[in-house]
Amino acid sequence: MKHLLNYRFLILPAIALVIGLAVWQMYPRKKVDFSTEVKPILNQHCITCHGGVKKNGGFSVLFREEALGETKSGKPAIIPGHADESELMRRLLANDPEVKMPYKKKPLSDEEIDILRRWIDEGAEWGEHWAYQPVEKPELPAAKSFASLKESEEPASEQPIDLFIRKKLSEVGLHPSVEAPKEILLRRVSLDLTGLPPSDKLVGAFLAEENPITYEEVVDALLADPAYGERWTAMWLDLARYADTKGYERDPGREIWHYRDWLIKAFNEDKPYDEFLTEQLAGDLLPNPTDDQLIATAFHRNTMTNDEGGTDNEEFRVAAVLDRVNTTWEVLMGTTFACVQCHSHPYDPIRHEDYYRFAAFFNNTRDEDTYDEYPLLRHFETEDSTKLASLKNWLEENAEPAKSKEMVQFVKTWQPAINSITADEFVDAELADTKWLVFRNHGVARLPSVELTSKNLLTYRYRTNIKDGTWTIRLDDRKNGTVIKELKMKDTGGKWAIDTLSFAGVEGSHHVYLSYESPSLTNPAANGIFFDWFHFSSQFPEGEAADEAQSTYWELLNAKVETTPIMVENPPGMTRETYVFERGNWLVKGEKVEPGVPEVFPGLPEGAPADRLGMAMWMTDPANPLTARTIINRLWEQLYGQGLAETLEDLGSQGIEPTHPELLDYLAWQLVNDHDWSLKQTLKTMVMSATYRQSSVATDDVLEADQFNQYYARAPRTRLSAEQLRDQALAVSGLLSSKMYGPSVMPYQPKGIWNSAYSNAEWKQSEGEDQYRRGVYTYWKRTSAYPAMLTFDATAREVCVARRIPTNTPLQALVLLNDSVYVEAANHLALNMRKAETNTADQIAWGYKAAMKKPITPMKSEALENLYNEAFRGYEGKDSAEAQAMQLVAAAILNLDEFVTRN
Amino acid sequence: MTNYEKLIHEANIEQARLKTRRHFLKDCGMGMGAMALSSVLWGCDTGANLNSFASGNPMAPKAPHFPGRVKSVIYLHMAGAPSQLELFDYKPELQKLNGQDCPASFLDGKRFAFIRGVPKMLGPQANFKQRGQSGAWISDFLPHLHSIADDITFVKALETDQFNHAPAQLLMHTGGARLGRPSMGSWVTYGLGTENQNLPGFVVLTSGGSTPDAGKSVWGSGFLPSVYQGIQCRSVGDPVLFINNPDNVTRDLRKASIDAINKVNQETHEEFNDPETLTRISQYELAFRMQMSAPEVMNIDSEPQYIKDMYGVTPGKASFANNVLLARKLVENGVRFVQLYDWGWDTHGTGPDASVGAGLQGKCRQVDRATTALILDLKQRGLLDETLVVWGGEFGRTPMLENREGKANPYLGRDHHVEAFTIWMAGGGIKKGFSFGETDEIGYAAVKDKALTYDIQATILHQLGFDHEKLTYQFQGRPFRLTDVHGRVLKEILS
Repeated sequence: MKHLLNYRFLILPAIALVIGLAVWQMYPRKKVDFSTEVKPILNQHCITCHGGVKKNGGFSVLFREEALGETKSGKPAIIPGHADESELMRRLLANDPEVKMPYKKKPLSDEEIDILRRWIDEGAEWGEHWAYQPVEKPELPAAKSFASLKESEEPASEQPIDLFIRKKLSEVGLHPSVEAPKEILLRRVSLDLTGLPPSDKLVGAFLAEENPITYEEVVDALLADPAYGERWTAMWLDLARYADTKGYERDPGREIWHYRDWLIKAFNEDKPYDEFLTEQLAGDLLPNPTDDQLIATAFHRNTMTNDEGGTDNEEFRVAAVLDRVNTTWEVLMGTTFACVQCHSHPYDPIRHEDYYRFAAFFNNTRDEDTYDEYPLLRHFETEDSTKLASLKNWLEENAEPAKSKEMVQFVKTWQPAINSITADEFVDAELADTKWLVFRNHGVARLPSVELTSKNLLTYRYRTNIKDGTWTIRLDDRKNGTVIKELKMKDTGGKWAIDTLSFAGVEGSHHVYLSYESPSLTNPAANGIFFDWFHFSSQFPEGEAADEAQSTYWELLNAKVETTPIMVENPPGMTRETYVFERGNWLVKGEKVEPGVPEVFPGLPEGAPADRLGMAMWMTDPANPLTARTIINRLWEQLYGQGLAETLEDLGSQGIEPTHPELLDYLAWQLVNDHDWSLKQTLKTMVMSATYRQSSVATDDVLEADQFNQYYARAPRTRLSAEQLRDQALAVSGLLSSKMYGPSVMPYQPKGIWNSAYSNAEWKQSEGEDQYRRGVYTYWKRTSAYPAMLTFDATAREVCVARRIPTNTPLQALVLLNDSVYVEAANHLALNMRKAETNTADQIAWGYKAAMKKPITPMKSEALENLYNEAFRGYEGKDSAEAQAMQLVAAAILNLDEFVTRN
Repeated sequence: MTNYEKLIHEANIEQARLKTRRHFLKDCGMGMGAMALSSVLWGCDTGANLNSFASGNPMAPKAPHFPGRVKSVIYLHMAGAPSQLELFDYKPELQKLNGQDCPASFLDGKRFAFIRGVPKMLGPQANFKQRGQSGAWISDFLPHLHSIADDITFVKALETDQFNHAPAQLLMHTGGARLGRPSMGSWVTYGLGTENQNLPGFVVLTSGGSTPDAGKSVWGSGFLPSVYQGIQCRSVGDPVLFINNPDNVTRDLRKASIDAINKVNQETHEEFNDPETLTRISQYELAFRMQMSAPEVMNIDSEPQYIKDMYGVTPGKASFANNVLLARKLVENGVRFVQLYDWGWDTHGTGPDASVGAGLQGKCRQVDRATTALILDLKQRGLLDETLVVWGGEFGRTPMLENREGKANPYLGRDHHVEAFTIWMAGGGIKKGFSFGETDEIGYAAVKDKALTYDIQATILHQLGFDHEKLTYQFQGRPFRLTDVHGRVLKEILS
């Protein structure tokens, strides 16, 4: 009965009424359930005027205390236990159109009014939406409890997934299908788990007539294949809004591919999902984080940064922070949170302040929309890494542990540094292109509130091509402040350089005034010197062989290395406060907030710090109702083309209800309790089920009863993703490179696609095997993403995309028919077909099998042979008529519905 | 089955029908209550709509909320923002103030992209006269446009809130300054589909040597299904990406190969009974037709010489004039929304091409003749009544001389300005020879009939037959629309 009521308000009112009456007559009265019965009525009829955004008449039905509280009239609208005395009921039943609710809208049905009356009489108890309630292990349906007409034809199964699916099937009068033929099943599971068609070896082993390996062995082999990590990374990159460029107007390149490689490795080693999330959200806050744990935090450095001249750096820093909040909720916790940015959630019990309390977790990182995207992890390879190790050793022996740690961090990240964009009070100084502090002759600028206690060394990054410039550093007053240093600045030849100066230490926090002058700078408008950042510290430690250690330190500090943007928390003295933004406007600050999670959820786990690490602990705590449900729903969607709850991005009360809520909860419970957050084990459970293994053939009856396959009486057929299509074409034609990792590559794309303003960036076609790498390695420019993949629903990745909506368009046909990548793959396949067999029909059969992993049928063979013959006639007289005709046939094979579909 | 089971069964099927597999029609499943209560059930009510998705053609023509005045839109965007003070918004007072320090009242609490400190005022750098019966002020930078002064409506007190190119362009075309929202053309094709199934419904053409600052997102589909994104067509290379067959594949062989593909797919359909396979068959047929019609329509060489002369086309080059002529051919052939971007209007005074004098005049020469020809040509074909033409930039330019980072620029230039700029519109349902809105004596800010970028969007949607508040899409938990929470139809400029 529960599921019936779930749907009652989604379907046509007439049918709802009929069913309602049926239920009325058949079942004794049960206590009204708030989430499934009352909340839908309130959401549908009341909340637009009495909810998050509007509270007309001082009445709101979003939270219980609001609903029971005093309204503008001074009286509450709902009196628990007394429906007849409640103003709400009076308004619903009133005849006067000025009084009757819903105001000037269609009245509630008698049945809806009855539910509300009973609910108030029963105490007007509140309840939470299903997705906000803790995950509990649902009872498994009994295997024999559902008699069915064709039971004898159903493959037997005791698998929990099948029990839940079959229970529902039986309720709706449908039956599961028989198991798919082995060759179809093999291609399906291989594409699903590794994103590639099965290798010849696997096909041979599984389809062998004698001693074939079992299906389970196939699954284990696929899960152990390194291609597995690449396939699931391709999915995760949409969630992480990964791109190789920064976004916005200039959209220049960004070096962040180490993060993509981290993902591939993490998926392949089956890093438990709770650790997988924790490292991405807060790897930097783990005790003594490894480089890999730091790289993981690039997850949230995939936010866009803006280099457009004249932009406000703080505006885009804030935009990145809010994007982290929205992404965390939308893709990791299936909750659309963005609307809470401007006002309380209109439908779900999440308050406006909750958004900013949560944002406070993210508001204390060092990134500030700088040009170089600081903070960066600087990767030391080979010799440099040996030098770093020796420096570490020396520091451990000669410096306090804290100092040692500070210095190693500085070498590896140039952090913590004061970015020059935080300077102010400019006179004859300016932020050049809004990104660097620049001085003209006699220029002055300020670094506000710098903590100088126990600091006597300033390290800074600058460039100038003036020889006789003098830099003066004063404290607290631009003209008369104490001069702590005056220094002749070395000419760097206009190139960035890092240098250092010592100064006499002072106590406390001070405004630091920087001024610059140069006798040779005669043009008052000419720029003299540029600064990038400033780092105040204590002196280099003393000790045996200190000179050598110091020179290693400087060498490493200046080394040209690969980098990855990472999260680094603000040190004390540099922390930010977080305020509510009134109506979401970052310029209008409301009350100050402390980091916290929305009140509707359990609080931070005991002992969890109030920072990103604590937040990650909260998200991965078994008590969190959303994290496990969200990933299970996503894995299901990847295998079945739709989630158990279709709206992956919204499990809240505005999302589409799950078709199989108990199954979703069972799998979520199992992930945490049985599988210890192992995604591989979870996927294995899913693909081992009879539900997964059944045939995708739809009978007319099934199609009519369940066009969109919500009950899984058959396996779904889904179009392959943009990446899978590319990988598969390269794989079956023998072109695919198995090279893993490294900088993104630029496979063929038509000329003239990149044409950005203020950018000289060019698409330089990769050479050699880099031309044939998997799609996950394709260079992704946000404002001009790889066109062939965009056509197949890949997204620009400007912001996270919780799911791709598949389309089926003529432009897709044009890509597969004419894009040089697919033409080349077809030509290569044709070559292999002609090498493998001698007569045309055999060649075609061979090519079809190479692509589809199953034998061709006579009718398909005839169609393709006819094409060959017609093409041959067309090319007759040319040297390569046979080869060209076969190329056309091979291209046709790569365009077949069966080929682009996971069957 | 018991009666009870049958009831559940029927209810579930009914629900499935309503929901559809994709969230195209999510509003129907989830927001039905809200929808049913509103007076308009657009987008969800009809079986026709459901079928257009079920049959796999989200571009099938659909009816708008009410009969529209126009069928298509040509939007000419001058990326970089042309100076209204040199073209349409004539300010003799500003000439008198030329060279004087800008009064503090114009600077206090304001923020400019590049101006720092106290800049000088800069008088108009072009000569103005009143043109046509309507007496519209148009400068001598646009000599051709004078002849159509009586066909257009100027909106002169337009305001935006973004002073940088990329966000301002996004605001103008997607209703939001950040990336991620659908562009106007995407909303229009989502709402109306397209009439000619052999051509894309939303076409984008660029000129001036660069894509606009906001990149391709400015014609992206945002959170709408990607099928609604603008298709960039090109006057050099393939007119549509991947439309040309490989060199050795003739049209006959392409036909043969698509026939073979579809024959095999037909068998696949008989085997698996997947409606998506049927859709794929029809999409391959459509692709084949598109291969034929797109290059034909997009070949401006086939136009008579006098038409080419009228526009001033330069065959073989990616020029604005070529694109404008192409735009006419596209709307003539049933394309719904043609968006042009011409890059290079950012006249800061940082170089000779970027001056508000000769530099701006040079850009005007590149567009004036073709733009004028477009209006005249549409008119002579009887198409102007069913087409809406819009011309403008993303913001205006300051009445002050730009002093970048506090220093003088080498040429005369103006900084970005959000408080006043001019666009013009012409075509179906728009007043002829009309000017709406006024700015103050120096053209700094609106003083009468101020309009916002959202109002332009609301008006364009209105001319196509949409209530901009009701053309919505459910995303991130709420219905989104082009005009966000703003927008007013500028009824004053409608005839």
